[in-house]
Amino acid sequence: MEEVHRQTYGEKEKNEIFNNEFLPHIHSMYNFGYRLTLDRDDAKDLVQDTYMKAYRFIESFQKGTNAKAWLFRILKNSFINDYRKKSKEPSKVDYQEVETYYNSEDVDRQITPDLRVEALKDMIGDEISNALNSLEVDFRTVIILCDLEGFKYDEMAKILDIPIGTVRSRLHRARNLLKEKLSEYAQQMGYKNTKL
Amino acid sequence: MSQQSNPFLQPDGKKSSCMQMLQLILDGEANPEQKEYFKYHMDKCMPCFKTYEVDMTIKEMLRIKCRGDEVPNDLVEQLKDQIKQKIAS
Repeated sequence: MEEVHRQTYGEKEKNEIFNNEFLPHIHSMYNFGYRLTLDRDDAKDLVQDTYMKAYRFIESFQKGTNAKAWLFRILKNSFINDYRKKSKEPSKVDYQEVETYYNSEDVDRQITPDLRVEALKDMIGDEISNALNSLEVDFRTVIILCDLEGFKYDEMAKILDIPIGTVRSRLHRARNLLKEKLSEYAQQMGYKNTKL
Repeated sequence: MSQQSNPFLQPDGKKSSCMQMLQLILDGEANPEQKEYFKYHMDKCMPCFKTYEVDMTIKEMLRIKCRGDEVPNDLVEQLKDQIKQKIAS
């Protein structure tokens, strides 16, 4: 990312970068923190911690470059190193398996769970949010970055420190899991299984 | 459009699956040639057409429903105070 060349900024310039390039992303950052921790207080702590780190390492940031991706990367690393270690076991997902499946002939076989647009449009409560929150955190993360925040694959690869191929396979798996969850909700709402 | 002009062919010459094509389209990662090919492909691939509709709807709903969390009022002020303290120390 933009950390290779160290910059030299005066105090005034540091504050300008912080106020004009970092703070405008506070909403997205808080939302990312909340969707990772699923706790508002933890999200606030995580965002504060991230911004303080960003300020401390501001000379690693090149003015005018992709501040949002840089901040998201710091937040993600803080989450893994400080928060997740304390509270969660390591991930049990076999990502090699996810990738092998994505690149196999079978990827089209179960093309989508039994889900229809009309059922989705009827989900006016917290169904979508709950379905997202129910995913394992690494799967949740790729959906947040891609679908909520609109990051491109190459940006996601840098934020997450994984190859673009892995971004794609993980995203595919994440979406299928999300659809499975949404299908369950659709059935509870009375929509019958309708295979495509 | 002929098989040879499939712009989704991978470097090893392997065809991309429907799901792999669909994902690039959905995420705005496809180039204009790939978009054109996919439009044509969807006309004759009903599962792709339906999945595209469902996936687009989910993507849209995620953006609408999962980004609305209000940032705590005092967060920005607290951050600015912490920076001031850091500079002063």
